[in-house]
Amino acid sequence: MQDQLSALLAKAVAELPVIAARPDFEAAKARYVGPNGELTALMKQMGAVPKEARPAMGKLINETKAQLQTHLDAALARLEAGELAAQLGPAVDATLPSPDAGPGTYHPLTLVREEMCRILRKVGFTVADGPEVETEYYCFDALNTPADHPARDAQDTFYLPESARFANVTKKTPGEKYLLRTHTSSVQIRTMLKGEPPIRIVSPGRVYRRDTTDATHSANFHQLECLYVDKNVTVRDLKALLDYIFESLLGKDTKTRFRPHYFGYTEPSFEVDLSAKHLPKVKKEWIEIGGCGMVDPAVFAGVGYDSEVWTGYAFGMGLERLAMLLYGIDDIRYFYQNDLRFLKQFA
Amino acid sequence: MKISRNWLQSYVDLGGISEDEICRAITFLGFEVENVIRTGAPQLTNVLVGEVLTRNKHPNADKLSVCTVALGDTLGVKTIVCGAQNYVVGDRVPVALPGAVLPGNFVIKQSKIRGEFSDGMMCSAKELGISEDATGLLILGDRPLLGAPINSVLPPGDTVFDIEITPNRPDCLSHLGIARELSAWFKKDLVYPQENFRGGIANNAATRADLLASVRVDAPEDCPLYLAHVISGVKIGPSPAWLQQRLSAVGLRPINNVVDVGNYVMLESGQPLHAFDARKLAGAQIIVRRAADGETLKTLDGKERALNSTMLVIADGSKPVVIAGIMGGENSGVAPDTVDLVLETAIFKRQSIRATSKRLGLTSDSAYRYERGVDPHSAQEAAWRAIDLIIETAGGQVVGPVVRVGSDIPWQREIVVTHDYITEKLGFDIPASEMRAAFAALEFTITREEETVQPARGPAWTITIPSWRDDLDRPIDLVEEVLRLFGTEKIPAAVVSSPGLVGDDDPVVRFNRRATDYLVGHDFHECVNYTLRPGAELKTWVSETAAAELALANPFVEDQSHLRSTLIMGLLASLKLNQARGVAVSRLAETGRVFVERNGQNLECAAVGFIIAEDAARHWQPRAGTDFYHAKHHVVSLAAMAGVDLARQPLAPITGPYFGWQEGQSAAAGEMQHGWTARFGLLNLGMVKAFGVEGKVYAGIFVILPEKLAAATAARRRYADFSLQPAALRDLALVVPIAASAGEVQKALAKSARAAVGTAFVLEGVTVFDVYQGKGLPEGTKSLAFSLVFRAPDRTLTDDEVNTVFTKIQDDVVATSGYLIRK
Repeated sequence: MQDQLSALLAKAVAELPVIAARPDFEAAKARYVGPNGELTALMKQMGAVPKEARPAMGKLINETKAQLQTHLDAALARLEAGELAAQLGPAVDATLPSPDAGPGTYHPLTLVREEMCRILRKVGFTVADGPEVETEYYCFDALNTPADHPARDAQDTFYLPESARFANVTKKTPGEKYLLRTHTSSVQIRTMLKGEPPIRIVSPGRVYRRDTTDATHSANFHQLECLYVDKNVTVRDLKALLDYIFESLLGKDTKTRFRPHYFGYTEPSFEVDLSAKHLPKVKKEWIEIGGCGMVDPAVFAGVGYDSEVWTGYAFGMGLERLAMLLYGIDDIRYFYQNDLRFLKQFA
Repeated sequence: MKISRNWLQSYVDLGGISEDEICRAITFLGFEVENVIRTGAPQLTNVLVGEVLTRNKHPNADKLSVCTVALGDTLGVKTIVCGAQNYVVGDRVPVALPGAVLPGNFVIKQSKIRGEFSDGMMCSAKELGISEDATGLLILGDRPLLGAPINSVLPPGDTVFDIEITPNRPDCLSHLGIARELSAWFKKDLVYPQENFRGGIANNAATRADLLASVRVDAPEDCPLYLAHVISGVKIGPSPAWLQQRLSAVGLRPINNVVDVGNYVMLESGQPLHAFDARKLAGAQIIVRRAADGETLKTLDGKERALNSTMLVIADGSKPVVIAGIMGGENSGVAPDTVDLVLETAIFKRQSIRATSKRLGLTSDSAYRYERGVDPHSAQEAAWRAIDLIIETAGGQVVGPVVRVGSDIPWQREIVVTHDYITEKLGFDIPASEMRAAFAALEFTITREEETVQPARGPAWTITIPSWRDDLDRPIDLVEEVLRLFGTEKIPAAVVSSPGLVGDDDPVVRFNRRATDYLVGHDFHECVNYTLRPGAELKTWVSETAAAELALANPFVEDQSHLRSTLIMGLLASLKLNQARGVAVSRLAETGRVFVERNGQNLECAAVGFIIAEDAARHWQPRAGTDFYHAKHHVVSLAAMAGVDLARQPLAPITGPYFGWQEGQSAAAGEMQHGWTARFGLLNLGMVKAFGVEGKVYAGIFVILPEKLAAATAARRRYADFSLQPAALRDLALVVPIAASAGEVQKALAKSARAAVGTAFVLEGVTVFDVYQGKGLPEGTKSLAFSLVFRAPDRTLTDDEVNTVFTKIQDDVVATSGYLIRK
């Protein structure tokens, strides 16, 4: 019987590894360990084994059974693996490009705008928005622009016909003409009229100038302006903001400087220069980047804020100009052509 | 404004101060230096006066000579090879000796030229950097001293600063104005020109009523002050060299002594002047009046100007002779044979000059200054100053009458400001003494100083503002003056203070951000296109009337004449550009404002749009193409971000002549009445082709009023319990007319199903999963197959109860809709 068991095991070891299909395996399994299988038949012979030899023989049968089962399991695992593998094609060539389009890209103006908004949010500025079609009051009068100021000329500013009506752009006075805003400062006025100080907003947006389009001019472009109104706001605070913005954007070795200037809506007013290392294509030490100043008391008076109590500052800059500096882009028109070879460079 | 350094030197001593320092001063005083122009010889060392002693032909070169040149006792005689031809033995010329560095960093060394030794170089004017003249050596006339440094012989050079003057500072449209600023910055004295003539007329000079009988101002509102002086016996000729040099340096062409003096005094003081030939004034009269409609004047630039009654002119007894403050006429100007002059200095109203200048499209140095504001007190002194210079350069004498019509414009301005106020606005301390010094340097007089204790400690100043600083009238204006002179570069650094609580960004901004994130995440390339589009194109999208509403009053170029009503055309233009450049692109998207008309009024709306063009790139493994439902999918997603559930909205096909969509392949939802619209599908094939784009383009756009977005902060949703029991599924195919939409069939079926289920259990969904049309179905019908999902909250549904309900549903839907059950 011992020999029979050995022979049985040897047969299984030889047969099981070469079984290629599941029915063959099931048949083999039945042949060995099924109710009518060979091992079962041998086990039935246990009754004929002398009593004293039974324990040893029982042990041997159990061992053989366990070994047989191990071989069966291995064969089954091998078959199953083969079946799963059969569901797959050949191995992929991972270096082939995906035929799906993509990835999508953000426009560089969006990237720069969002970066600025994130930087400003950290110091409490929220993003405000307002209409691009504006009225003379919000674009000029409220910003202390004299009635005969050249910026109001039809030569420099786009107007809509007197008959035009914009149901969701409010006029201050009925006779006002609609125009395309020349700066986002109109958002500051609307925000101040709508709310109460303290106010801390950043207003990025599209603005329009009646200008010839060339490498540095565009009939519409984007500005980003900050307005902060609170008690005891000082020139020094304004300088601190500008230092913070550009250090955040360009690194700790970035410097800003103020040059006195003139704007109707701020007093004192400054132009802001920037000095930073590693800006592509910048050769000068100082580059003009924007304008700023302390909100003029006349502007506060116009929105009904008491300038004895409230003080504030405003800062504005061109987003295209900033993007051009940061990325080293030399033609503003590229922003509006949307050549994919351009768009793909930034995201 | 061009400012000459030599000229400035007449009023403020800038000796020893470098050009860079002056530029820096101008910059930090608040003016932009646009350009620095150097004229004349630069400072040259080792370039001396020499005399050519001998000149012999170079043995090895036809065009060269070998010369000996005397350089005076110390340096003796040098041998120099020279290529110029324009000199003779005995001429004195500039000689650059070894060690000299000529402009262009040209270093002079001893050398051998074609085998002949040369110990320096004789120079042309160009080589010295004086002029462009390179035709030969610069021959020095007047036989200057041998060995003298060349700079002691040549006229001094000049530096001209081209400065942009901000509109609030018309006082700086003059050399004196800039000199005043620089004197304050560098803490140097300012020296005003002193006039000899100060209104007194010599005893022997009779009043010449024949030259000027009367001056009348008919429009005092436009001309508050008019001064006229008569100068008799002048001789017109060229100006002296110093005057010509100064005018040339700042870009003015010298004309004659009288005209040049007028320009000179204007550029010195900022006060425009005008000189008439007295002979040419009909009736010896000057009348300051509005022009009559239809009058004309040929101005000095040779153009005939049509005048009207809004325009101020200076007229004589019969005709206009000057467009007041802007430009004189040819009929009355100073000519070579002019002998008697009437000199005008006047104050004109800014607005009047500006309006006339604009109407005529005519400007001048004079108009530029009047428009911005001339010191109301400068007319008198400028006249005196000009008279001095006319007498100095053209002779003559002042005769009567001296006419003054109008009165001095009253000027009295005081500002009270405290040290404390200025400190509070600046946020850092500048000592009171430094503030006082700044005021004094700018010629502001402190007429009163008090110590205050309440509300804060420190001096309170009453400050008198000079008449040329009309831009200052509030305490805050003086903060800027103090800061300017303190130096904006010295503002101390600080940390940004920031609040603990930050508000929300604007709803439109948040929507745009989400929409862009979504689209970029779905492989779109974000674009930015112009808001202004051509009018013709607009008519593809909206009615002619609506298009007219979007027209600009004053477009600049024809193809940017209207506000955009859709984002699609900009995206198509971007697609076209990429196609034309051979760049494969399919998915483009944009967020931005569009303008739509409703009931004759425009609405400015937020919008998000996209296009999906046929992918022109070839791929190693093809992908299924785009269809209508791709566009629909994205629009549904975008609308959801604005709180709009498109599944609950009726969809309508887009038809009609005005829409850029392909009929039968596109759909619309929403009305501007409710604050939003959505459109999506295939763009009109003909329109796309005519636009120049190849292939089919699917697109979608979602438009919403900003105020609607602001209101879209929806009420918080409530959680609804859901069943953990197994679902029971049944499929049902309905045979319906071809024209029936899946939406309406689904609605009918869902209605029957809900009714049949009642409250026994729950109908979870009725979803179409198959659409079939063709063989096996009656003509004019199609089959829609739906999957119905049932579930009970508390138990496993039995087949029996589901089957009962399912049968009821089938009976009901057939009975109510007329659809057939497909077996």
